[in-house]
Amino acid sequence: MTDPLIAAAKAASNGLFAQSTRMKVVSENIANAETTGKTAGSDPYRRKTVSFEAVTDEAEGVDLVQVGDIGRDEAAFRTEYMPGHPAADAKGYVKMPNVDMLTELADMREASRSYTANTQVIKQVREIVSMTIDLLRSSS
Amino acid sequence: MQPMQLFDLAFRQNEWLAQRQSVISSNIANANTPGYKAKDIQSFDDAMRSSAPMAVTNQNHIASSGFETVRDQDDGSGQAEVLVSGNDVNLEQEFLKSNDVMRSYTLNTQIMKTFNSMLLSVTKG
Repeated sequence: MTDPLIAAAKAASNGLFAQSTRMKVVSENIANAETTGKTAGSDPYRRKTVSFEAVTDEAEGVDLVQVGDIGRDEAAFRTEYMPGHPAADAKGYVKMPNVDMLTELADMREASRSYTANTQVIKQVREIVSMTIDLLRSSS
Repeated sequence: MQPMQLFDLAFRQNEWLAQRQSVISSNIANANTPGYKAKDIQSFDDAMRSSAPMAVTNQNHIASSGFETVRDQDDGSGQAEVLVSGNDVNLEQEFLKSNDVMRSYTLNTQIMKTFNSMLLSVTKG
């Protein structure tokens, strides 16, 4: 087993990576909130979802977090009446992406909060390590 | 010798604190993982009592090292909030624990520093 403090930093940096992946997915969803299909009646952009899973690192003895699979939200699309749109069906309705801005923004807030929490952990670990190193420095 | 024992004790507690910090850090990293339960390690008192050094009667024996008893449990108090996803990590509580670790670590290193300078002032005269 390696140093637990290194393991702590590793878990925190894993958390940073997971949260930034989540941030990436959220930004994809927001960017494509109005992306419709090209042909008549075709499906628009389908919202992406991300899931996390805990993975135990046997060598380090910590639970790391890992991005599971990036899936697609199977929720129904909303429709809008736009007869002139290239993706409009026979009745003039266009399928819009199933992206809900409020959900995405809430997700983004949570991701950034967790990201901050992980950076805080890294800061503390660094401080602890430098306190230990300072033990040597003071002996003059 | 007395001061040496103190170094040993302080070192062991620092080891325990580092272990605890790594558990806290994996709790925080998994704050958004569905089904993850917050973990904690056994208290320092218990760890000291249970990890009383095993007798080494043969040089091939492996010395017991460290505290590797990460208890798979949530730490009881105030853990009322379990999310729909089955996750019960409470970030505020984890930070509280982390600050606890920080404070004890500072105290320990300060004590070690002080004793070190005392020993030095004796040896240097």
